Amino acid sequence: MSTQIFVEFTINVLSMGSLYALISLGLVFVFGICRIVNYAYGEFITASSYALYFLGTFTRLPWALVFILGVSAGVAVGYLSELIAFRAFRGRSLDALLVTSFAVSIVLQRTFQLTISPRAKAVPVPAFFNHNMTVFGVVTPLRNILIIGTTILLLTVFALIMKYTTLGIAMRSASENFVTARLMGVPANLVISVAFVISGFLAGVVAIFWSARTGSVEPLMGAPPLLVGFIAVVIGGMNSLVGAVIGGFVYAILSNILSLTLPSGMLSYRDAVMFIIVIAFLVLKPEGLVRGNYQEESIG
Amino acid sequence: MSSISEATDRTPILEVRDLYVGYGSVLALQGVSLDIYEGELVSICGINGAGKSTVLKAIAGVLKPKSGHIIFKNEEVTGKNPEYLHKKGMALVPEGREIFSTLSVAENLRIGAFGRYNSRRFADDLADYFDLFPILKERYHQSGGLLSGGEQQMLAIARGLISHPDLLLLDEPSLGLSPTRVDDVFELIVKLKERGITILLVEQNAERALAIADRAYLFSTGTVEFDGDAKDLLDNVDITSVYMGGKKGAHIL
Amino acid sequence: MSSKKGAKDVKFDSLIKRLDFPRKSSTVVFLIVILAIIGFFIWWLNVPYIEDIFTSATISLVMVLGFQLYMGNSGILNWSYIGYVGIGAFASAILSMTPAVKSMQIPAMYPFLVGLQLPFPLALFGGALIAALVASLIAWPLMRLSDSAGAITQFALLIVINVILSQWEQVTNGPRTFTLGGKRQTTLWVAFAVAVLVIIMVFYFKESSMGLKLRATRDDRNAARSSGINFVAVRYVGYVASAFIGGLAGGLYSHYILSITASSFYMLELFMVLSMLVIGGSMSVSGAFFGTILVTVLRQGLRQIEQTLSRRGIETSGSTDIVVAVLMIAFLIWKADGITGGGELSLDSLRRTCAKWGEKFRGLKQKET
Repeated sequence: MSTQIFVEFTINVLSMGSLYALISLGLVFVFGICRIVNYAYGEFITASSYALYFLGTFTRLPWALVFILGVSAGVAVGYLSELIAFRAFRGRSLDALLVTSFAVSIVLQRTFQLTISPRAKAVPVPAFFNHNMTVFGVVTPLRNILIIGTTILLLTVFALIMKYTTLGIAMRSASENFVTARLMGVPANLVISVAFVISGFLAGVVAIFWSARTGSVEPLMGAPPLLVGFIAVVIGGMNSLVGAVIGGFVYAILSNILSLTLPSGMLSYRDAVMFIIVIAFLVLKPEGLVRGNYQEESIG
Repeated sequence: MSSISEATDRTPILEVRDLYVGYGSVLALQGVSLDIYEGELVSICGINGAGKSTVLKAIAGVLKPKSGHIIFKNEEVTGKNPEYLHKKGMALVPEGREIFSTLSVAENLRIGAFGRYNSRRFADDLADYFDLFPILKERYHQSGGLLSGGEQQMLAIARGLISHPDLLLLDEPSLGLSPTRVDDVFELIVKLKERGITILLVEQNAERALAIADRAYLFSTGTVEFDGDAKDLLDNVDITSVYMGGKKGAHIL
Repeated sequence: MSSKKGAKDVKFDSLIKRLDFPRKSSTVVFLIVILAIIGFFIWWLNVPYIEDIFTSATISLVMVLGFQLYMGNSGILNWSYIGYVGIGAFASAILSMTPAVKSMQIPAMYPFLVGLQLPFPLALFGGALIAALVASLIAWPLMRLSDSAGAITQFALLIVINVILSQWEQVTNGPRTFTLGGKRQTTLWVAFAVAVLVIIMVFYFKESSMGLKLRATRDDRNAARSSGINFVAVRYVGYVASAFIGGLAGGLYSHYILSITASSFYMLELFMVLSMLVIGGSMSVSGAFFGTILVTVLRQGLRQIEQTLSRRGIETSGSTDIVVAVLMIAFLIWKADGITGGGELSLDSLRRTCAKWGEKFRGLKQKET
């Protein structure tokens, strides 16, 4: 009996953690290179979700194609928002960048509201996603296994790219010291665009699994995953990709533990408790669990 | 003026005209002009805050001048960004080395050649650098952050050289190094000059810099105070008084 | 001249000197007079709809001023600010409502809260005090955080406050609407009076030694530190003061709109406050003032257009926010210090502007001849 609970717990943690890891990775890629906390990231996810909605509802394309196009939507929104909005703020103060990303977020939300609909739309989910599988005696939908597999695949691919390709080396150098990297001929525009493209790509993948879980898309749906991303990034550290991944999994663990242990009256406070943990982290260990290459100065 | 430009009528590889560079409302450079000719080793000396590093950063594109002109290889490059200048053939070895400590020595070198990479040439270069800088061979796969100050300086210079720049800018290479390491650095610079590399060297250690340079510029609070053949300057200008601060202080011996 | 100055006289003199009264105070006078003129005019017009716009604009003004106090002086964007507005809104409502109404509207409320009732002014003040209290309890460790960690913490704090406000059934009626009912106690003149007070408070904070110290920490950290300014303490005071004013604005708001939910004090509202301040100019009280007026007028105008268009069948709701957002971005790109550029409206600045225009005019005349 207890093995079953354990297996169920593990699968929940792994599948949730995988999804959260991808979300926070999308934030950290951009933060690591350009020090932008991208509040509009949630809208990248929303854009992809809307693409999935349109393609799934109004076309008869095979799922593989739908997914590819959906992810491409995320990539496009990511790339364009950098080009149109963020590029103008290159080199500006952190707060200016925060405000900009906030403004972009609102513009995108409202645009979705205006051009599509303020109401939620149902996103069709491939049947096989909800096909039940039995793993070690526990029944779980296939998409949980898929997200774990997808995350492992993507993490491996990104690790290889960052470690062994010239572009990866360039991006790592830029994230450590942007100016010096430019002095070596590393093009600022390229590196930043790539960061946003990767962020949009990850947003697209997240959209597939997030909308599969909720079954719908609406203009403000980007807020919950964004929050998740922030929490994971705070826990794991904003300064390293490894930290982002760890943060996602730690968040998943904490969240599941809280769900299991909080008295039922307090369950609605689970979020608040999570955030208090977040704040405790920020106060006691602001660099997160994994120290990266970017040192924040503590003032007081 | 310079004996080299008198002897030949060549155009300089780098011309700086009337450069004004500021940080916020403070003007760090006020009307600086200089020339570098191919094959020369030119040194810029002066006290801290005189603007030496600032002029190098402006040339390399890190700082945008408020006014003035920078002409590199006959092209107006004022205000162009650093990666463009690197592609054109300029390499800056920044003050404080600025090694990528999260990258290995190998990766640092690879990035140094980013804009102008040629795989065959890179392999040949490595063999050459392992001769010039044996320490790099030893630590080739180690993280840059593990190197000592002197070793980092060697890596930084190698990183600057690996793109085969037409102009190498060195910003205070001896800063913070022990005396033996300083010797190594100056020896290296002489070797590089003998290979025919054009070098613009910013150095606080004026005595040593003037001893190896062809020509020099002495900076004082944002302007060029003296310029000419290095030997002349070394013999005729009371360097200490320039270091004591300013136009009024310097004497011609 | 009396040569014997009592202790009180000396103190008063030095206070006036420190405040550089009356030269700088001309700003406060100007702003209050402008607000009074507009207020009187609108009151005289006696058009309820326009009165409502003025009242809510004045409430926004108080909100923006509280935000400006911290952001303008410390250079730090306090993402949690709107949470304190919410705390003030709920707290003052709970304090002012009669037990009968409370037990009816919020059946789950704690008995001791139900029984509590204060007259409106005290309730307003009490709500602000509670907001400041909450701030004072949690802010200290947050003040030492660096920029990015600080921004994310404040953001997280806002979410915590929001979750608590939207879940605490016994206090805020949970996610359901909290209806104050009854008469609207924030009238045009109440809002005006509070706004006048807050203008004075925020301006004199800025000019006080505390404000100066805070600005020093903004302008040059290391210099400030070496002058012995206690970073954390100075920021702390600014933060709590800002929360107090935010709570005041919240109280005005809840007694104006008469029904609130936690979601009214979240991202979008923060965004509006931010846009007013950015466009007006975050570094000065005049900036907060004119930014609020401008954005309010703009939004009203746009909303009218939206309504006219929708009557013709073209749905454009939400585009107001897009316009304001784009405008804010534009300002950030090209004029980050806003319309006022950090300067205050004062006798000096008017004199200077007139001199400049006079010169331009003379220059033009010379060109003609």
